[in-house]
Amino acid sequence: MRIGTELLAAVAVGGGLGWVVDTYLFASTPWGLVIGLVLGTAAGVRNAYRAAQRWGQPKP
Amino acid sequence: MEESPLHPFELHELIPLSVGGFNISINQAVIMMWVVVTLVTALMVIAASSRRLVPTKLQNLAEILVDFIRGIILDTMGKDGMRFFPLLGTLFLFILFCNLLGLIPGTYTVTSQIVVTAVFAVSMYSLSIAVGFFLHGVKFLGILVPPGTPPWLLPMMIPIELISQLARPLSLAVRLFANMTAGHTILAVLFGLVLSGGLLIGWLPFAFTVALYGLELIIAFIQAYIFTVLSCVYLGDAITLHGHSEHAH
Repeated sequence: MRIGTELLAAVAVGGGLGWVVDTYLFASTPWGLVIGLVLGTAAGVRNAYRAAQRWGQPKP
Repeated sequence: MEESPLHPFELHELIPLSVGGFNISINQAVIMMWVVVTLVTALMVIAASSRRLVPTKLQNLAEILVDFIRGIILDTMGKDGMRFFPLLGTLFLFILFCNLLGLIPGTYTVTSQIVVTAVFAVSMYSLSIAVGFFLHGVKFLGILVPPGTPPWLLPMMIPIELISQLARPLSLAVRLFANMTAGHTILAVLFGLVLSGGLLIGWLPFAFTVALYGLELIIAFIQAYIFTVLSCVYLGDAITLHGHSEHAH
């Protein structure tokens, strides 16, 4: 559940930022959305990786 | 009898109010929040009033709660985090009581409104950013560059880290909201089956309702815990800048 939301949220933010860049900043449809989604997926994987890393860690 | 399973989430304006064009009507959610605030305050004030060496039952409960929150903070932020104890303790108790009281039939679950969870998530996240800039100044932007990144990767890592930072408040808000809404919807659907099933077959979904109710009690606690832990982790990241999660390897 935690990992899932972590992944989805990052993809949503990435896609959203890409879409905003497309529609309001430059008329670059659809490239902002595409790049945003790719970066968002990468960020999601990274967040999920971090979340999982925290589990295995011995408590300080 | 046949009503939508989403019916418990509808808000009704009990006392319509409007100030300067803003609708600030009193609805069930507002009343539930007042109830929660009153209950938490009463519990803590009454429990702390006697301060006996051999605690009363109520004092014992309050001590367990306070010690639990203290444990969360010490585990995630260390001793530095204790100055956020009043804030994080209030946050945890408020969310916990909202979740638990919402399970009583007929009451309203405040945390099933995304407005509420989003406000909590965004304000906790903004606080961590503010604390980071306050403690580290411009160097805090270094949180966008994980240690050990080769320079040629920077143009890619910075956008990725930026997105992963911005995703934090969203995932924080959606997690709590989705858990509470989904749980209550399932309970409502199952109980709807009990009502339409009658005595002959109705006991089966009723048994499931009872079992799931127990599960929901656990989830109510876990979600309050997760929300507080993640707020602590974000604050801790801002305080230590590349906190312990990066030292692990």
